[in-house]
Amino acid sequence: MSPRFKNILLDTLLIGSVLVLLLFFYAPIITLVAFSFTSSRVLTLPIEGFSLQWYGELVSRPDFFPAVLNSAVVAAISMVFATAFGTAGAVAWIRYRFRLQSVFRAVTFAPLLFPQLLLGVVMLLWFSVLGNWLGFSTGLVTVVIGHVVYITPFALVIVAVQVYGFDDTLEDAARDAGATGWQVFREITFPLLWPGIFSAAIFAFLLSWGNFYVSYSLAGTARTLPIFVYSGIAVGSSPIYPALATLNLIPALLLVVTAEVFRRRALKRQSASLPSS
Amino acid sequence: MQIEQKSWKDPVLIAMVAPLAIVMVVFFLIPLLMTAVLTFQTTQYYRLSWTWNLKIWTEVFSKPHYWTIMLRTVGMAVVCVLLCVLIAYPAAYAMATRLKSYKTQIQILIIFAFLTDAVLKTFGWILILDKNGVANWLLMHIGFPPEMLNLLFSPAGTMIGMVYNLVTYPMFTIYLSLVRIDRDLVLAAYDAGASRLRTFFEVTLPLSRPGLYSGAVLVFVLSLGAFLEPRVLGGGTSPLASELIRQSFETRVNWPLGAALTLVLIAIGALTLAVSAALTLRRRPNQRSAA
Repeated sequence: MSPRFKNILLDTLLIGSVLVLLLFFYAPIITLVAFSFTSSRVLTLPIEGFSLQWYGELVSRPDFFPAVLNSAVVAAISMVFATAFGTAGAVAWIRYRFRLQSVFRAVTFAPLLFPQLLLGVVMLLWFSVLGNWLGFSTGLVTVVIGHVVYITPFALVIVAVQVYGFDDTLEDAARDAGATGWQVFREITFPLLWPGIFSAAIFAFLLSWGNFYVSYSLAGTARTLPIFVYSGIAVGSSPIYPALATLNLIPALLLVVTAEVFRRRALKRQSASLPSS
Repeated sequence: MQIEQKSWKDPVLIAMVAPLAIVMVVFFLIPLLMTAVLTFQTTQYYRLSWTWNLKIWTEVFSKPHYWTIMLRTVGMAVVCVLLCVLIAYPAAYAMATRLKSYKTQIQILIIFAFLTDAVLKTFGWILILDKNGVANWLLMHIGFPPEMLNLLFSPAGTMIGMVYNLVTYPMFTIYLSLVRIDRDLVLAAYDAGASRLRTFFEVTLPLSRPGLYSGAVLVFVLSLGAFLEPRVLGGGTSPLASELIRQSFETRVNWPLGAALTLVLIAIGALTLAVSAALTLRRRPNQRSAA
């Protein structure tokens, strides 16, 4: 085999592996989108005709909108807390040195290394015992707490990347020019970290929106969208779930693309302005 | 980057660290302790009674049924790690070396798939793997016999789901350690006359080890808690530890037992983490001298 041919073969195999992986990732997603437009009740190929009836059916389910509302409220509140905690945590991780920092790092990172189901179970036990003592039961509030614990480490890692590439001479310059601590934060630190914070927020929102495990353990009788789907498919498959998946995709795609483009552009700008580090 | 030494008397540090630390202690560490405490209690008539004894632990250790399932869970996790690494490494390598100009687009595609609702994605896999599903239909149309694959409701179905949901993690950890490799080291190996293959095995692969190991450990630990996949794609035919835990909570309403089984699983994960951390820390000094 000529070395040239060998190179081409290697390149093809490597690039092929990425394409196969992407196909693997999108196979169930494409399948869902395709089946959402079927006119038949059975979800097998070939798809017989085009219709939007399942979207109508989905929307007319009485428990659909309550689940959407629950998911939206939980995701919005979890996003705010996880992003705020993650941002503060990231700065403390990267820029500060303090006593017991390694403990702080371990405790704030550990939930990422925890299978979600176990995280949910452990918190469920705690809330049940606490609930027995204080007289409350699990519901949306406990779901939010669970999501914050689970999602904060993700937000922390994303913001930490931004903090790491941060040009702090700008802060010094502002301080030298007479800015107060709060002014430095508002005018320099926050705008520079904003792209990382923004994409951490989007990430947090979507992780919470699509979270099943933690919600399943902690929701009590309340229902979020993934629980709605889970209890539905446990009974039998129906084309309303592909329709739901498709509805889910459009806003999520817009959010992810905006956040990533925004964050990467800022990172590139930063590394361009930094002397080679 | 300049690093600020902060004391705990500094209100800025307290404002930044304390809220998060308190949340993690109250809703993560204390619940873990609580789980441990609960394993020493018992249930009577579906109610928890605070009696300190070792009844639950003797039950856990005396029933081989539990340990068969634990062993199966660990076995599935090991297979899942191997598959994930084998799939993720070439793709991460290609992204780091061949597809640099498309890396943003590829990463956005991967992140987007990762963030899509896991229950819906798993339902998508049912539609693909079903006997009358998409996979068999496609295979039939390119000339294979009808209903060739029978993956749904089998351990293979569970495994596909597990790999699908976890492969993203090693993909990113391996990619990150590959892009950090100094290109000059690879070029130096070529200059010294090493072949591509030899350079890969003696320079690139050892230097990407941190990403490889951390990705593998992450997949292992997270796959211990796989629940949706064995239930929805495996059809409950060969239950994993998560199913055991769910049953002890929901069907048997035996919290202490569920807590004990959860703790066993956490212990397996923590032990793996500790061992791999010890191994990488021990390896670090000679790795530095090599680099």
